[in-house]
Amino acid sequence: MSTDCQKTTAKAIPSTRRVTINDAAHMPHDYSTTPGGTLFSTTPGGTRIIYDRKFLLGCRSSPVAKTPPKGLPKIPGVTSPPSKDTDEKAHNGELLNNNITAPDSSSSTGDDSQFEMDI
Amino acid sequence: MNNKFDALKDDDSGDHDQDQGSPKDSEKEKAEDEDKEQNTSKKKMVVPGAGEHPLQYNYTFWYSRRTPGRPASTQSYEQNIKQIGSFASVEQFWRFYSHMIRPGDLTGHSDFHLFKEGIKPMWEDDANKMGGKWIIRLRKGLASRCWENLILAMLGEQFMVGEEICGAVVSVRFQEDIISIWNKTASDQATTARIRDTLRRVLNLPPNTIMEYKTHTDSIKYWRTLAPHTDNLCKSVRIDVLGDDESREGYLYVDSHCVI
Repeated sequence: MSTDCQKTTAKAIPSTRRVTINDAAHMPHDYSTTPGGTLFSTTPGGTRIIYDRKFLLGCRSSPVAKTPPKGLPKIPGVTSPPSKDTDEKAHNGELLNNNITAPDSSSSTGDDSQFEMDI
Repeated sequence: MNNKFDALKDDDSGDHDQDQGSPKDSEKEKAEDEDKEQNTSKKKMVVPGAGEHPLQYNYTFWYSRRTPGRPASTQSYEQNIKQIGSFASVEQFWRFYSHMIRPGDLTGHSDFHLFKEGIKPMWEDDANKMGGKWIIRLRKGLASRCWENLILAMLGEQFMVGEEICGAVVSVRFQEDIISIWNKTASDQATTARIRDTLRRVLNLPPNTIMEYKTHTDSIKYWRTLAPHTDNLCKSVRIDVLGDDESREGYLYVDSHCVI
């Protein structure tokens, strides 16, 4: 009767998983979680936060990732504004450094600031 | 929002300097840091910003360049190496990376180092001293892309060797560029093999690419052989010698043979 004895097909164990975030609400609420759960408790060495290249490159376009870091030492010919941004800002006649705060504040959400106040 | 995190960092300031390294190293590092405004306060706890993607480890970017024309014997490797900054999240990484020149565009004799926070890009650091590195020599024109792929793999924990990875270096030299990845335990063959295989995969190397594994103790011995007089020099002095080493060209760190 039971002829439903099917073979399951073997699949590779996924080593990475790609998750696209379109909304801040999809972000995890704590730092031990990554979007979509890229946490592996069974990798050698225990739990790791794993990102593949494509995901990392995707994060590059977030506004936060584009602002110059605070306290970036000025080393001539070494630390410099990114060429793309330079062009944009130069167009507006602004120095890149003047823009540190603007994109930053736009990226923060109300909830976050409250959380940070508690710290 | 950054300011709030800076406040956090301040709370935690004090002893950035890891227990590793000699006291002298720490002093030196501190002195150097104080020169750079702001740096001390943001040293230890860099934390991911709200909504950012945390990394498994915090990392620090370093830059070094051999000063041309200076008498090499007065050069100190540690003085020549500058911290660019530390980050804890993917976004923070891009902030630094996007504001740094690509290694292929560096001039002269320069290196970028990206090491886990708390590990100095030096053989003698406690995390490195039993370790070694895979090195790959690249013909000119490939360094920027390979470096990016290498560090993305490192930050994204693609190597799957637990705590073993210490950091990565790209060295711009006259005729070629060199990238290397350092790990803690040179004698751990399973680890070094896994790193090698991951390197091949993430760098998409042609099958005939030569990859070399060097232990740091060998590197140190090599320099001592070339510069036997260094026994007379005190700690932290590096001697210029003839020869070429990928990341440490021209320097020798004299560790325990200090005779002042």
